[in-house]
Amino acid sequence: MTSGSKNSYETLASKDLDFILPALGTITLMQDLADNIKLVRVELDDPAARKNFVFEPGQFTEVSVFGVGESPFGLAGAWQPEGGLEFAVNRVGTVTDALFRLDLGDQVGIRGPLGNGFPMHLYRGKDVLVLGGGIGGAPLRPIIQTIFKNRKDYGKVTILWAARTPGLLVFTEEYDDWCAQPDTLMHITVDQAPDGWTHEVGLITTLLEKIKPPVENTVTVTCGPPIMIKFAMMSLEKLGFAPEQNWVTLEAKMKCGIGKCGRCNLGEKFICVDGPVFCFSEVREFLESFV
Amino acid sequence: MKFISYKTRDQWVKNLSAKARVVAPVDSKGKIIYKQINSADEAVWNFEKTDLPAKTWYFPMTEPILYIEQGKQTKLTEAPVPSPVVMFGVRPCDARSGLILDELFIGKPPIDRQYANHRETLTMIGLACSEMWETCFCTAVGGAPDSHDGLDILLTEVEGGYALEVLTEKGNKAIDGVAIEEKDLKIPEATLREGLPVVRNSKEWSTLFNDLYWKELSNSCISCRACAFVCPTCRCYDVRDELVTIKPGVKNYERLRAWDTCTMAGYRRIAGGHNPRETTEKRLRNRFYCKFMYYPEDFGPIACIGCGRCIEVCPVGINIQEIIAQVDHLLDTAAVKA
Repeated sequence: MTSGSKNSYETLASKDLDFILPALGTITLMQDLADNIKLVRVELDDPAARKNFVFEPGQFTEVSVFGVGESPFGLAGAWQPEGGLEFAVNRVGTVTDALFRLDLGDQVGIRGPLGNGFPMHLYRGKDVLVLGGGIGGAPLRPIIQTIFKNRKDYGKVTILWAARTPGLLVFTEEYDDWCAQPDTLMHITVDQAPDGWTHEVGLITTLLEKIKPPVENTVTVTCGPPIMIKFAMMSLEKLGFAPEQNWVTLEAKMKCGIGKCGRCNLGEKFICVDGPVFCFSEVREFLESFV
Repeated sequence: MKFISYKTRDQWVKNLSAKARVVAPVDSKGKIIYKQINSADEAVWNFEKTDLPAKTWYFPMTEPILYIEQGKQTKLTEAPVPSPVVMFGVRPCDARSGLILDELFIGKPPIDRQYANHRETLTMIGLACSEMWETCFCTAVGGAPDSHDGLDILLTEVEGGYALEVLTEKGNKAIDGVAIEEKDLKIPEATLREGLPVVRNSKEWSTLFNDLYWKELSNSCISCRACAFVCPTCRCYDVRDELVTIKPGVKNYERLRAWDTCTMAGYRRIAGGHNPRETTEKRLRNRFYCKFMYYPEDFGPIACIGCGRCIEVCPVGINIQEIIAQVDHLLDTAAVKA
C-alpha cells in the first residue's frame, strides 16, 4: 500500500504556486501555548489569496520574518473559510526567535500550502488513534478538529498526548472540549511530573502499551520527535498494528519547500514534496533512516 | 565546414560585448574562472578546464531572489530577468551539467523561474577538449570531449582558428554578422582515457547502502566541502535575508540564495537538535548516493559529468572515480558470492 496521499508535485503542478514570492499576511493572534511556545495566527492580506488558501491537515507553509529568514511550519489549525492560518511556534532558532518578538499587526510572508497532508478520506469510518509528542501535537490538531467537525464520519477517537513536562503540553485549554466529544478518550502523560499531577507519568510508549487500544479498523497518526516516532511505531507493532495502519508526519529543515533546495531528502525522497506525511509502511522501507 | 580565425573570434567577442554580457575563462590569481570580458585578450583561450564550473553563470554562488522593502507596508519585488549572457570556452561536460540541472529546476513543477531565466538568457559557446585530462572521466558518465549536449555552438580548435558548428537557434543568433569562412577541415579527434570505471545503476547502488565501505571512505574526510563547491551538478542551496540599507522608517533587505552542501555537519539538523545525518560517513555517503542513485531516481540523469574537479580539490585524496570503481567491484564480489 502506498501513502494514498498524493505526491505533492501533482498539486504543485496543478496550482500556479509562487514559490519565490511569499504572500503577505498580518499577525492577528499571538498567545502563549506552552513554555516557550506560542500560537500565532496569520491572516493573508489579499482577500483573493485568503480565499484560495485551502489546505488539508498535515500540510505546512514557509513563514517569512522579513529580514531574518524563512522556516517551515506545520499548519496547526484546520482550514476554515476566512479562518486564518495558525502555527505553533517553539522558540528554538533564529526565525522562531524573531517571530516571538513580533506583535499583532506585524506583517509576515507565507508560501504554501506545501506538502501532501494526511489522507483523511482513508480514515473515514475508522477509529483514529492520535499520538502527539510535545509540539508534535500541533500538526495533529487539524486532524482532531476535522474529525470533530464531521464527527459521524469517523469512529472512536483516542488521543494520547505527551510532553516532557506539564508546561510543555500544547493546546491544554482545548482538552475539555475534546474530551466532551462523543466517543472520545484522551490520555495525557509527562516524563516528569510535579506533586499533585493527576495524569500519567512516563513515556507515551508506556502509556500506549498500558491502555492497549483496539487494533481492528483503526488508523494511527503520530507526530513528535524522531526518536518518539521510532519507539511509538515499535510499540504499535507490539500491540498488533500493521505498518499500513500507521501514519507519521516527519520534520526537516527546508529552504524551498518544493523539492529543489535539497535540504530535506531522506534517501531519494523529499520530505517537503513526498511528505511530510507518510504511511509507516513506506517509511520503514526507506533506504535512509529518519532517526 | 564553418571556420573562424582567431582574429575573427576576437572581433566576434568585441561585437557581442556591445549587446550582451560576454563571459569567458579568465586567469584570476592563478585560477581559471568564468568572468565577464570586454575584449578577447582578457580571456584565457588555452586552458584545460576551469577551476569553477560554468554553472556559476546560471546558478550563481550567491544571488538575490527577492528584494524586500520594509516600511509601514512590506513591498516585495522579485529579481529581474538577467540581461543576456554569451559564454565562451564552455567545456562540453559543463554544458551537460546544465541539462542535468534543468531536469530538477525546470523539469519538475513548479518551474524555478530564477533559474529558468538564467538559462533562457544564456548562450553557451563550447570549446571541444583536445584530450581527456588526468582526472577526466566524462565518457564514463555519458559525455564526450566533443559532446554537443547543452551547447548552442561548438568550437573545435584547428590550425589558425576553430571549426564552428551551430547547434541551436540561439547559436544562430550569436553568429549574426560574424565573418565565417567555409573551409575543408579535418576535425582532430580527442585523445580518450582508457580503463575508466563502470558506473552501476541506481538499483545496484541501493544494495550497498549499508556497506562498511562508506565508513572506511569517510575516515579521511574532513567535511571541508570543497568537492561540492567545485561541482557542476551540486545544486543544494541555502536561503537567507541580508540587510542592504536602512533609511528612516524603511529597511531594505535582499533574500539571497547561496550554494550549500549536504556534506556540511549541521546540514540536516532540525529544530531541537536532532540530526539524522550526524556522522561524516552518512553525509559523505549521501553525496555519492545523491549523484548516482537519488538524482537518477528522482530526475532521470545521474548527477555527475565526469569533470574530475572534486578529485583535484580534495585535500585528503577522496576520488570519485575510485568510488565508482569500488562500487563496481563490491557489486561483482556480491554477485560471485551469491
